[in-house]
Amino acid sequence: MTPKFTILIIEDEKNIQTFVGKVLKKHDYKVLYADNGKEGLNLIHSQCPDIILLDLGLPDIDGNEVIKEVRTWSSIPIIVISARSAEKEKVSALDLGADDYLTKPFGTSELLARIRASLRHSNRLNTDSTLYIRSYRCGGLVLDFSKRLLTIDGEKVHLTPIEYKIVAYLAQNSGKVMTYASILSNVWGPYADDDNKILRVNMANIRRKLESDPAQPKYIFTEVGVGYRMKEDEFEG
Amino acid sequence: MLGLLAATALSFLFFHLGHKNSANIALIYILALILIALNTTGYLYGILASLFCVSAVNVFFTYPFYKMDFSIAGYPITFVGMLAISLITSTTTTRIKKQKAILDERERKLAEAEKERIRANLLRAVSHDLRTPLTSIIGSSASYLEDQENLTQEEKIELIANINEDAHWLLNMVENLLTVTRIQNDSGLVIKSLEVVEEVVGEAITRVQKRHPKLTVHVSMPEDFLMIPMDATLIEQVLINLMENAFLHAQSKEPIDLIIENMDQEVVFRIRDHGIGLDEEQIPYIFEGKYSSEHTDSYRGIGIGLSICKTIITAHTGMICALNHEDGAEFSFALPKEKENEDDA
Repeated sequence: MTPKFTILIIEDEKNIQTFVGKVLKKHDYKVLYADNGKEGLNLIHSQCPDIILLDLGLPDIDGNEVIKEVRTWSSIPIIVISARSAEKEKVSALDLGADDYLTKPFGTSELLARIRASLRHSNRLNTDSTLYIRSYRCGGLVLDFSKRLLTIDGEKVHLTPIEYKIVAYLAQNSGKVMTYASILSNVWGPYADDDNKILRVNMANIRRKLESDPAQPKYIFTEVGVGYRMKEDEFEG
Repeated sequence: MLGLLAATALSFLFFHLGHKNSANIALIYILALILIALNTTGYLYGILASLFCVSAVNVFFTYPFYKMDFSIAGYPITFVGMLAISLITSTTTTRIKKQKAILDERERKLAEAEKERIRANLLRAVSHDLRTPLTSIIGSSASYLEDQENLTQEEKIELIANINEDAHWLLNMVENLLTVTRIQNDSGLVIKSLEVVEEVVGEAITRVQKRHPKLTVHVSMPEDFLMIPMDATLIEQVLINLMENAFLHAQSKEPIDLIIENMDQEVVFRIRDHGIGLDEEQIPYIFEGKYSSEHTDSYRGIGIGLSICKTIITAHTGMICALNHEDGAEFSFALPKEKENEDDA
């Protein structure tokens, strides 16, 4: 039995605390609660949780301040909880170093999937997980990183080098949303143009190669105004 | 000021090139006076300008040159004439400007009243629509809390399921209302950015299917890469509302058709169902927020959703309409492409 993961919930709304806490405890996580940002920071310093669920609208300090403060010394995964229709808020939190976000209201399955994805990616440095050697697999899509080969239902799909880089980056972070800015700088380098049109044109081409119906994608989803999210890897481990 | 200098310069030119005829000079100064009065507000500038003109004519263009001389015959008449011209012109322009300001103000007030009216209607409709699910939630949860021991397991599940369903309905409504707040208050327009059509459509379908897993959509769209200016969150909401209506109200199991057409000036989205169709008599009022079909529960009427769709599309300077086709209803909306903006991007 592996030791339990500790999750810190920073949220001022008691009802949500209780509901999220109940769900997480049932799924064998250890749960800590904080009602405001300062308390949250204290708990982060003293308990070093494995993952942080952070509501952006806190009574005392701005949620973004918490992210900034934590990122000065730690890479604990942070999942931001925010209201819908505030893409700018999400993007700025993600660019400050948050790992992912959940939109209120969220379901339990969504919550658990995000936590799983973030935990998995945060462990890549200190475990001997073969995440980067073994292939990404989801439905009929297999991406073999060592051979740089993408197949769908066994059929080889030809991608241009740029398209391959985009898909590989998304696959390595599958289950997590990647902002336009992070994809741009990862694929085109740090001096890439801010204009994300080139990315979206490439994305449209990728979609035509990967998806049977580009308007109802199965593998790569758009989070309008924020970025792209590739479906979670089916590998369980 | 510049006008006066220019007039003086011009006059010098005429005076020295021409036949030392002061009549033309006076004309030029009168022209300058009128222009000045037209382009300034109030009488002060006009009066000052006419004073300057009269003295300038006196000093520069009448004998003795470069000397003030008030004893020239007819001089007071010239002065009074110039003053009168400038005063009359100033009065007229001032009045016209005032009237224009009043008209502008009235127009602004009318637009504001119209916006206020839409908002009030929406609020009224909403508070009415919100009360029903809230009553059901409060009632169900209260009876669960008060009467736990007498309820069978099935009854409990039914109560909770009702609460869950009503809460989802409320959420849907609140999301709709929130989108309206994104529409800019003063201009009634939205902040647009270039968005990829298939991405917006894709996200809308994903979200509506999350709510209704049985909903199926058949999308047909052109192969080309389409980017049009819009507020993606709002257009997504329109697509979700229309697809949800088709799913909930058409009483048909067939997949909904979503057809996207790329026209010269605009992109057209058509949402077709294969169900009972719309009540022909209601079609003209369908976007007014009153429509509710008899076949559906009264509070799950589609009124607010559709009036919000209309508000959103209007704010995009697009068009929305509803009609019946051979076997069902079709809602379609068009968004302008705005070619000139596309070129900048």
